[in-house]
Amino acid sequence: MAGMTITEKIMAYNSGRDKVKPGELVWADVYSVMTMDYLGQSTFKTLHELGKTEVFDRQRVICVSDHLVPPPTPAFATMLNQWRQLVRQHHIKYFYDLGRQGIAHQVMVENGHVLPGKISIGTDSHANTYGAVGAVGNAVSVTDAAVAMAIGKCWFRVPESVKFYVTGRWQPYVMAKDLSLHIMGMMHWNGHLIYKALEFAGPAIEALDIAGRMTLCNMTVDLGAKNGIVAPDQKTVEYLRPVQKDNWEMIASDPDAQYEAIYEIDITNLGPTVALPDKLDDVVPIEKVVGRKFNKAFVGTCTNGRVEDIAIVAQILRGKQVHPEVNFILVPASQQVYLEAVKAGYIADLIEAGVAVDTPSCASCAGIHTGVAGDGDIILSAGNRNMKGRMGSKNAQIYLTSPAVVAASALTGVITDPRLL
Amino acid sequence: MREKIIRGKCWVASGYVMAYDMVVQKYWTDPVDKQLNSRYIMSGVAPEFEADNAFKNAGYTFIVAGHNFAGGGKSIEHVVTGLMGAGIKAVFADSFSRLQFRNATNYGLPFITVKDLVSICQTGDELEYDMQANTVKNLRTGQVKETAPLAPFVLEIAEAGGLVEFIKRKIADGTAHLLR
Repeated sequence: MAGMTITEKIMAYNSGRDKVKPGELVWADVYSVMTMDYLGQSTFKTLHELGKTEVFDRQRVICVSDHLVPPPTPAFATMLNQWRQLVRQHHIKYFYDLGRQGIAHQVMVENGHVLPGKISIGTDSHANTYGAVGAVGNAVSVTDAAVAMAIGKCWFRVPESVKFYVTGRWQPYVMAKDLSLHIMGMMHWNGHLIYKALEFAGPAIEALDIAGRMTLCNMTVDLGAKNGIVAPDQKTVEYLRPVQKDNWEMIASDPDAQYEAIYEIDITNLGPTVALPDKLDDVVPIEKVVGRKFNKAFVGTCTNGRVEDIAIVAQILRGKQVHPEVNFILVPASQQVYLEAVKAGYIADLIEAGVAVDTPSCASCAGIHTGVAGDGDIILSAGNRNMKGRMGSKNAQIYLTSPAVVAASALTGVITDPRLL
Repeated sequence: MREKIIRGKCWVASGYVMAYDMVVQKYWTDPVDKQLNSRYIMSGVAPEFEADNAFKNAGYTFIVAGHNFAGGGKSIEHVVTGLMGAGIKAVFADSFSRLQFRNATNYGLPFITVKDLVSICQTGDELEYDMQANTVKNLRTGQVKETAPLAPFVLEIAEAGGLVEFIKRKIADGTAHLLR
């Protein structure tokens, strides 16, 4: 009998099975369920419709305020107040509200609510991020989340697995984001990765820190995949040790596991990569767009708002000045990230260089607040989506790229290759 | 008694069918209701389905489609309730959009993966779907394809009238923990 991939093993072990096959539907135990400010109310409402007044485990239902904080309008402020009341009413142990907030996916991983070999779900599309520590992370609807909050279970279709085996050495200033965008260009968002489990392995993946693995797994949802995953290793052990909420065991794909496809990518020649406005998979090497003008720069989001991302921005900007015609906003992914960046001196570097640093939230990536786009804006963003209107005005253009490219370009006012600074 | 074998006429998609076209934008804020949503289901997919109730009146039981059926990143449930209201009993496709696959399952409409059924079917063909044998047969040509297995709970959800009602009953009778 053929072996199983890591995703199949996680699906099997958490649904009381020895073995699962792609295509099979299973009810599996979920380790943690995340919901956040703007969908949380509906989730709790559905929980009540199920006849429940309590969640299955108040330590494993995680509530986060991230999309609406700090509230820019009285309507949002009121919504947040109603949300807080609901969270308190259910005695949720881990509530990351304004003051202790962060983007939900960052908060879930950095606080050890996601563990290798287990399944965690959330009511936001980028829950795929959890695969960075060897979990199956999945976005679900309000109804599915409410069911999981009630009974600790969710149904899943076992996905076919596709492996990306990545070799070669990372060039300076080339980041996990460049690989994400490169794969997007190679496979297309509406390509055959839809509903697949994407497994990232090989020396170049082992070389990535957890932050880079989070970026990579985060954007698998934008490839249409069900989940993205990196098997846990010593880096995972060290990352989780101080924060994990439970014990866990090492897990990996069997050597004879079946994949629908295996792609080998050598990143030796991979340089900074850019997605052109409006389409995620309209991806080019930076050389094709060097010199193009833009007027706004943005670094943040669950894709690239971590301290490692801020570090590279600070390193590039240190002692220099952002171009006078560029407005640069940086939003750390969580209060914890923010604090680390302050202590490391990065925030001082950024402010001295002329960057506006704002309080952790989803910010303009949700198109709601903190530097939304206006008509005619051309934005160079380290976020995850570039569809028309994503950051505000439909008459704005969004280029997606890495934090290193955003920083290097912010100095010159035109798209610039950070390797050539 | 649950039906184990379903027979009926199929509609075969000629290309990529997007959720955006199955339920066009002006209806997205309508209530989710099988009867109401079936009135305009598929109206943006082909000119012959533009008129009110056109798809429903054509009397199809199955849809046969290719890659990423109901894709496009739209999570609206009207797509599934519209199909159910129009009499669709199962959709066969090479692959489905993840969002609509979850919606369909949560309403109890089988979305069944079948490789390349499109190549052996024409619109109007009578098909026979055997949900125990996991096969679908084209009664005009006699050709048979194997389908992905259908989880029993999908039909139980349909009988209960949706996931919320299904789980509510399981919670009430103390059997929710047995789901696997």
